[in-house]
Amino acid sequence: MSNKINRRDFIKLTVAGVAVLAVPQIIRQAQALDTLTPNGRQWAMVIDQSKCTGCGYCTLACRAHNDIPPEISWNVVTKTGTVGAQDVYIARPCMQCAHAPCVDVCPVKASTYRPDGIVQMDYDRCIGCRYCEIACPYGARSFNWKQFDGPNPSVPQWGQPEVARRPRGVVEKCSFCYQRIDRGLALGFKPGIDEDATPACVVACPVGARQFGDLNDPESNVSKLLKGRTSYRLREDLGTLPHVYYLPATEEAHS
Amino acid sequence: MKIKLPKIRSLKIRLPQFTLWTGWILGLAIFLTAGATAGVMVLWKGLSLTNLTDLVPWGLWITIDLSSIAISAGAFSLCAVVYLLGLKRFEPVARTATFIGLIGYTMAVLTLLLDIGRPDRFWHSMIYWNEHSLLWEVTMCVTLYLGVLILEALPIFARFEWLRSHLPKLAEKMSQAHRLAPYLAIAGLVLSMLHQSSLGALYGVLKARPLWYRPDISVLFIISAIAAGMALTVLASMVSARLTKNANVDNNLLDRVAYIIGWVLVVYLYFRFWDALAMTYTYEPGRTEGLQLLTGGVLSFNFWIGEILLGAVVPILLLLNKKTRSLPLWRMLAMILVVGGVVAYRWDTNLSGLLIYLSYLPGEPAMAYAAYHPSLIEFLAGGGIVSYGLLAFSLGVRYLKVVDHNVVKVHEVEAKVIEAIPVPGD
Repeated sequence: MSNKINRRDFIKLTVAGVAVLAVPQIIRQAQALDTLTPNGRQWAMVIDQSKCTGCGYCTLACRAHNDIPPEISWNVVTKTGTVGAQDVYIARPCMQCAHAPCVDVCPVKASTYRPDGIVQMDYDRCIGCRYCEIACPYGARSFNWKQFDGPNPSVPQWGQPEVARRPRGVVEKCSFCYQRIDRGLALGFKPGIDEDATPACVVACPVGARQFGDLNDPESNVSKLLKGRTSYRLREDLGTLPHVYYLPATEEAHS
Repeated sequence: MKIKLPKIRSLKIRLPQFTLWTGWILGLAIFLTAGATAGVMVLWKGLSLTNLTDLVPWGLWITIDLSSIAISAGAFSLCAVVYLLGLKRFEPVARTATFIGLIGYTMAVLTLLLDIGRPDRFWHSMIYWNEHSLLWEVTMCVTLYLGVLILEALPIFARFEWLRSHLPKLAEKMSQAHRLAPYLAIAGLVLSMLHQSSLGALYGVLKARPLWYRPDISVLFIISAIAAGMALTVLASMVSARLTKNANVDNNLLDRVAYIIGWVLVVYLYFRFWDALAMTYTYEPGRTEGLQLLTGGVLSFNFWIGEILLGAVVPILLLLNKKTRSLPLWRMLAMILVVGGVVAYRWDTNLSGLLIYLSYLPGEPAMAYAAYHPSLIEFLAGGGIVSYGLLAFSLGVRYLKVVDHNVVKVHEVEAKVIEAIPVPGD
């Protein structure tokens, strides 16, 4: 055995190693491009800031429906300023990005894209490394630092959560209430139109500031809204392609 | 019936003589017990016992994790020097470095098990691959490299007296693993180059964190790790040789390694300079503020004194100057500074990106500052892990003679390999 063979082996190994790492990567990139133009449904949320009054019902409905512990919020409402005499608020669910940093960084594929564009968390797979939390530009992810026991103060007496409580040690986030969408579709309902197939926050909003629907359907309420009005998404510069759109509060929109 | 009473004299407790060794082991045992207690409490009660938050989810333990991987880098770099460059004379130092590497990686694994929310699912990354995740790649490389290190360390464990007298055949088999050394050195080099730098890239790929989002951290991580890994090897060898007869060192050899470390630090400081300077060219929201945290904010003492002055400039002067380098005390001081500087660098890198975060709100990017001070539990568990490392090394010095530069008996196989390799500079 001579030095020459060692060096050749080294080069071979390096090439093989790079190939092993690169090939699945290229395949994945190709698949990711597919998810940008899916043939099926593409769920999206449109939040109209000119209507939002900052009442926080969306957050409450979300808490009750998804059994969220008091320290965590999947949907944060913040006051951002004023337009005219009106206070302007911004509600932030998970953006369900088409290029989600959390999906990229998860070491165990606990965060994945559903075919309908929703970024799904597998709570049975998450190891609680919190890398996704650090990678998310929207602060949409929260870690379960302790076990949440006992009754949830946000859940009213006349109803019960529809989602299983997450265990200690995993990261959780907004899911666009896909359990409602899936169940609703199975029953023949139309998400965004029929309340039983629509995310809890959209249903609970008393002023109709939140709309939900299929971006791939030109006749859906979200498609029509986005076509008719100026909209923006959060941190568009990052290229994450969020599926939550905002209609800004303007002087005309209020009047 | 007559009961035979034991003689009172045999009940007399004979205290072992108090020596430096027993005192050292006793001290470590106290820290280990405290650390183990803290660890059990964390596993039982959860990470709410730490001061980590959703804004700063990685803290002291990640620093220990990154640092123990970094100080293990002596293993791959010195093994590459011996088996790939063919500089056979460094073989005894590479042995020490391999043993330190094995300890460092087990320390990292222990820390990670504490730090993840679901330690019971640690194996998930082996089953559910996300090839796009740098953390996945790091986990795979660390696991594979731990295997390489175990194979590399088999001949070291074969030197255990008890094993040689009780299971001579097994000991013989274990020492034959030496045959694999050149192949293991290649595997170690590939895996280490990958994951040592990926630990930096792990931060570098995060677009949400402008301070980290740059290509240089990966390069800086591997260069600083090579310096720190070799420095700890030299330091541990020298300290052991001073304290116990079980260790003996070849001063000229360590002098050579120390000289190499000096130049590695020059390369590191050069890259570090341009990396830092490039960030000042323009205002970039989040990045500029993060840099200010380092150069003038809460981390500025760590940065200027810990990382740059004591961690790089002073050791460069001490190590490239023949006079100071050949004086054992100065050389040891330089080694301590190098290791400390790299630990400070890991701590600062992690925190500088986390303490500042950009708001997602529309319009002008707003900055917010978070705070983090490790809790007592974090310190105790971290201290326990460090004392485990020190204990393992001390036992290695005493029973496995991991610091022994007088080993002339080189394996026949290895001797052949090395004869075939032209030694540059000879």
